[in-house]
Amino acid sequence: MTQVPEVYVLGGYQTDFARNWSKEKKHFVAMMREAVLGALGKTQIEPGEIEVAHTGNFAGELYSKQGHMGAFFCEIDPAFSGLPTSRHEAACASGSIAILAASAEIEAQRYDLACVVGVEQMKTVGAGEGGDFLGTAAWYELEAKGIEFPFPKLFGKLGDEYDKRYGLKDEHLAEISTINYANGKLNPNAQTRTWYMNYDHAMSRDEYNGTIGGRIHISDCSQVTDGAAALLLASPEYAKKWADRVGVSLDDIPRIKGWGHNTARIRFEDKIAESADSQYVLPHVRSTVTSAMERAGIADVSGIDAIETHDCFTTSEYMAIDHFGLTAPGESWKAIEEGDIALGGKTPINPSGGLIGAGHPVGATGVRQTLDAHKQVTGEAGEYQVEGAKNVQTLNIGGSGTTSVSFILGT
Amino acid sequence: MVVLGANGAMGLGSGALFTTAVPRVTFLARTKEKADGGLAAAVKMVRSSTVANRVDTGSYDADFDRVVAEADLIFEAVTEQLDLKKEFFDRIDAVRRPDSIVATVTSGLSINQLAEGRSDSFRKNFLGLHFFNPPNVIVGTELIAGKETDPKLVDFIDAFCTVRLGRAMVRTADTPGFAGNRVGFKVLNECAILAEEHGPLLIDELVGPYTGRAMTPLATIDLVGWDIHRAIVDNIYELAPDEAHQTLKLPQYMADLMEKGVLGRKTGGGFFGKDDGGNRIVLDPKTQKYSPKSAVPRPDLAFIDTISNLHRVGRYMDGMKAFAEATGPYAAIAHKVIAGYIAYSFHRVGEVTDDISGIDRIMGFGFNWAPPSVLVDTIGLKPTIQMIEKAGLAVPPALANAQEGTKFFDDPQVNVGKFFVAA
Repeated sequence: MTQVPEVYVLGGYQTDFARNWSKEKKHFVAMMREAVLGALGKTQIEPGEIEVAHTGNFAGELYSKQGHMGAFFCEIDPAFSGLPTSRHEAACASGSIAILAASAEIEAQRYDLACVVGVEQMKTVGAGEGGDFLGTAAWYELEAKGIEFPFPKLFGKLGDEYDKRYGLKDEHLAEISTINYANGKLNPNAQTRTWYMNYDHAMSRDEYNGTIGGRIHISDCSQVTDGAAALLLASPEYAKKWADRVGVSLDDIPRIKGWGHNTARIRFEDKIAESADSQYVLPHVRSTVTSAMERAGIADVSGIDAIETHDCFTTSEYMAIDHFGLTAPGESWKAIEEGDIALGGKTPINPSGGLIGAGHPVGATGVRQTLDAHKQVTGEAGEYQVEGAKNVQTLNIGGSGTTSVSFILGT
Repeated sequence: MVVLGANGAMGLGSGALFTTAVPRVTFLARTKEKADGGLAAAVKMVRSSTVANRVDTGSYDADFDRVVAEADLIFEAVTEQLDLKKEFFDRIDAVRRPDSIVATVTSGLSINQLAEGRSDSFRKNFLGLHFFNPPNVIVGTELIAGKETDPKLVDFIDAFCTVRLGRAMVRTADTPGFAGNRVGFKVLNECAILAEEHGPLLIDELVGPYTGRAMTPLATIDLVGWDIHRAIVDNIYELAPDEAHQTLKLPQYMADLMEKGVLGRKTGGGFFGKDDGGNRIVLDPKTQKYSPKSAVPRPDLAFIDTISNLHRVGRYMDGMKAFAEATGPYAAIAHKVIAGYIAYSFHRVGEVTDDISGIDRIMGFGFNWAPPSVLVDTIGLKPTIQMIEKAGLAVPPALANAQEGTKFFDDPQVNVGKFFVAA
């Protein structure tokens, strides 16, 4: 393969995920605007310098009855009029797909500076209706139609599959929830930073932590979130110029060192049937993680200092632990019991709080994860900084383990 | 620790907060049943029955002396009456350990006055902790030290509340209404005064969400209760005569209506209410009668619609620029209140807080209003000064002496856009 230019990540911005933009009576373009202008402010880049824009969004058509989300980028600033834009959708992986598209264009040397913005406004509707909208990330007709909260049930089945193959204890899922909430308290943008949560509550089973679908209780779920996150991606030429301008060394600017991207069959039971003979419950997720490592020249997870993973439910993080290779397949509980995934552990998972603690504005999540990876490797993560983090890997999953994208950021 | 008055709104709300961070909390009230009721309500606020495992309940008669003697922190949240609080402090002082902390929750009583006549160790370990209701939702909290409070204790409580209770802490002087109520109720009362001539509906629209707040001013007075409003403004009016003295005088029509039992939402209505058929009604302060909301004419307020539409798409600076440039008698009323809010806040620096960031924080996180500094940054320095001058108010030196381009709001973590609500 011919050598392609590296993709540098200059920085970005996320909105405060605790905000309710419907209560503020705002249109989602306000959210995009705050995220993009915030990213420009943070990186000291002028709007006119951006050459291309990619928007990640899952379901604006449903939540806000508005499609054509890419075009809204041009509403952010007069300088953006005429800019090439597009919108990318792959359910909860939409944000990472937008990053992949932007980075591919930089690799292809079409553009030198791209802006990626992920956005989702979810509090426009009630919980039941929102749950139904999220069902369109599965095979709606076969897996979601007429089912109350289909996704917790699908990820409950993921837990059931683990239980069947290897055994699974609620105590380990509760520990995952506890860690994510605890980390979220350290993150000033986390949706749950003022909420009450601890292991006892995560293990409680009364009205305040009722079941949503099988083994999935309220404390096992990620949040319904309004939020946007933006990132600036650059070619080596632009990055060099920018580094001189802001007074940093090019070597200190994080690059996308590796990426992985796979799609499995959309129906959960088809995935499970396909993986019957695999050690991994979701082998395509595993190959997304390992292909990113291969591209980055990192042999295994021991070369990764922290992970931002897709904990839409505690079972998805439980799955991620062995799929990243932190333990042998089916032994994720060992990493939990050893304290490996907590802040200060061997490989902290979701120092930001993840989707459970920080929040899950669907189309923004992949961008938020990559932004947090950027904060970690540049030492800007504040109280949730993983000391000395050099390589941080993300895992963003759309549907019930259907579309997976992973990035490794490092300097 | 022990919470006294654990059945009242503030007692159980603060108690709820403490149960999330303190290993052992005792809720005390006049009867054990009342304390149990407080705990049940606290559990609902925290949304976890697990906190009840950390709580004991009891009554003043049966448990006060033992529990208070054992407590490291004695949190007093009894009804806000000086005599009653003093009565409790007598009992506390008689049994407490000399090293225990005594915190009082008050929105207006003087901390130094409350400390008068207490033992040396009590005065040294005593401070005011003003949570805003409901404390599980509103994180802004004022911390008020008395003249003799140990500075190390103040630092400790500040850190404890910040780290363990997730509070946005503001240290204020022991001045009437402290910082938040001093500034906030000045604005609210000004709106009540203006409502007499212009009607509540118009005033609440002119000083509405588009000016940087979640809830409109007169609806806020209805929510907190007219009696509470009166207690706060009377206290400030009497004890802190300042350049806005007349603005803090309770309007006569409110006093008249309170005589008839009108106290706001808790009595079924204040400025706003509903008739027997469930239709929205509005008070006419001049006649002291209510009319259907739909019958109150809305004048042309196109400038508000323009600004709201700009806020809706996130163009807050354009919106507030349009606000500053709006003309006509109605815009002039809105300008006067907002300019008054900004000027009054900056004039309080040095009196109620050391710097404007304290007032900013309590207005942002206690009242959910755009902090004064955010308004200056968003409107622009020069247009703000012009607005203050046009309102006939003295321009605070911090604004008059500032360079164009100065940024006043200093917390980069706060999304200032959230304050500008598009309605």
